[in-house]
Amino acid sequence: MRSKCASVAYEPLYDRPGRGPLQRGRTMRGMQGAAVSAGQRSLSYEATPPFHVPLSFFLAAPLFGVAAGLYLLAQPEALASRWTPGALALTHLVTVGFMLLVMFGALMQVLPVVAGASVPAIRPVAAGVHGLASSGAIALASGLAAGRPVLLQAGGGLLGAAILLFLGAAAVGLHRSAASRVTGRDLRIALIGLAVTGALGIVLVLALSRGLAVPLVELANLHAGWGWLGWGGVLLAATSWVVVPMFQITPSYPAWLTRFWAPLVLAVLALWSALGLGGSAAGTRIGPWLLAPLALCFAAATLWLMRRTRRPHPDAGFRTLQLAMLSIAAGALCALAATSLEHGFWPVAAGVLVLHGGFVGAISAMLYKIVPFLAWLHLTQARVKAPNMKKLLPDAPMRRQLLLHAITLPALLAAASGHAWAGRIAGLLVTAEFGWLLANLAGTALRWRRVMGESGR
Amino acid sequence: MSTLTELMTHDHRQCDEAFASAERHARRGEWEVAHAALGMFARALNTHFGAEEAILFPRFEQATGMTHGPTMVMREEHRELRAALARLQQAIAERDMDEYAGEAETLLIMLQQHNMKEENILYPMCDRHLQAQREDLALAIGHELAGAAGAELPQ
Repeated sequence: MRSKCASVAYEPLYDRPGRGPLQRGRTMRGMQGAAVSAGQRSLSYEATPPFHVPLSFFLAAPLFGVAAGLYLLAQPEALASRWTPGALALTHLVTVGFMLLVMFGALMQVLPVVAGASVPAIRPVAAGVHGLASSGAIALASGLAAGRPVLLQAGGGLLGAAILLFLGAAAVGLHRSAASRVTGRDLRIALIGLAVTGALGIVLVLALSRGLAVPLVELANLHAGWGWLGWGGVLLAATSWVVVPMFQITPSYPAWLTRFWAPLVLAVLALWSALGLGGSAAGTRIGPWLLAPLALCFAAATLWLMRRTRRPHPDAGFRTLQLAMLSIAAGALCALAATSLEHGFWPVAAGVLVLHGGFVGAISAMLYKIVPFLAWLHLTQARVKAPNMKKLLPDAPMRRQLLLHAITLPALLAAASGHAWAGRIAGLLVTAEFGWLLANLAGTALRWRRVMGESGR
Repeated sequence: MSTLTELMTHDHRQCDEAFASAERHARRGEWEVAHAALGMFARALNTHFGAEEAILFPRFEQATGMTHGPTMVMREEHRELRAALARLQQAIAERDMDEYAGEAETLLIMLQQHNMKEENILYPMCDRHLQAQREDLALAIGHELAGAAGAELPQ
């Protein structure tokens, strides 16, 4: 039962009477920085942040992917093991540089829509989070690649500050929100996952740079588990519960799955952490065996739903999301194989499948929907006649870029063999994939600017 | 239906079905059938908007005193969605596949973002504030929505 206080705090003022939509938009944005009632909240498009806020995250993120590709070109044997400095640097260029930046930008955009929670003081908070997270990703990846303690500590500190700033702002927004549906709850669980992943990461940084005595391998496994499933997986699932049925016109996910999946992930991660850190040998091995079935369950349910789409001729984004789900399922199986097979290929393959095939694929497909829609939305809000989405982002370059993404995946798996030639090919493909993604998104932003310019605004 | 949220969410999904039917036939170049299916989508959408604007929103405004709140924003979005629907109907009348695909994609995302706000935020608020009159309200809205249903969608 929701408290009366929460609902009252949520509802009092949506807007000022007698204003048009544009004036209303300015009012909402102005109010965010002014001394206004904590309950003021909007259900409008205008409550969403200015376009440049999410766009700056979305355009910066692929640069980290390009950096990862170039690094792999220079260090083509980096993926021979999950423990090489190069593999650790590559992992964090993708997870922190690409994934975390996009997720921050997207959450600032969608929290008002799906959870009724506006991030307060959005412009300074966004600028701060962006600056801290970007510089933190660069420092951390450099520190891991070069084995420089000072860079590692700088990276850990900057990223910790970015996560704290974002979580603090999101917590204020969510605290004021009365939305209680499953998606809002799962977003909160994902934010807990982010906090734990970050905290474990900082402990690992201290262990590597200052010799803090901790069980390094167990902690690294927990850090990866919380990042993959507690943060990334729950966020992807919370998004999918809403996005897949609505935008692909499919039946809803089974109610038992949406109700229990994320809390179960959280409970299993907590149990695994308690057993692992408690020194139980069996406990450290049990995590993947409990988590992999959960990942498989989510991937299988999504694939099953997608087969029942009412939309005709699935587009490249749809195919990419299917590939992402298959990759997550295959990655979960590789993670299980890695628990009993000694060969170093399995953990690297699990990482490549989950991170590149799963998250990078799903995020790319979603960015290709989000960015042109936001461009269209902001033009419409400015009372400018907006070209439709396919004119803001043409199909052909998007389709080819996503095809390149699909080709890059087996190349990365081949690079996990540790052969230099395979690493060079994969590096080249990764560089091209992210460079092309950036070019396509920047093209949409430039079309938006041009249309705005032509309208004299 | 036990809540207004469930009733209105169910109708959103019915509208989606009609939209998907029109899109399927347009993609196959079956323009006549697509035109008919889009007509059904337009009727379903306008009936849904009408039920909200004439029945649900006024009751909500009366119960909460919020006449310039979320309902005003939703009415504004209805206006934008009707304009997007008119562009889609224009594209189908001109049998322009590229234009139809682009406008359909735009309308779908705009519509679903609108639905998300209603389903996650506004309808639960309606359920809370209109609890005492929920049964009567659901009956009246259901009667209104049933007016647009009935005809079989082209498969």
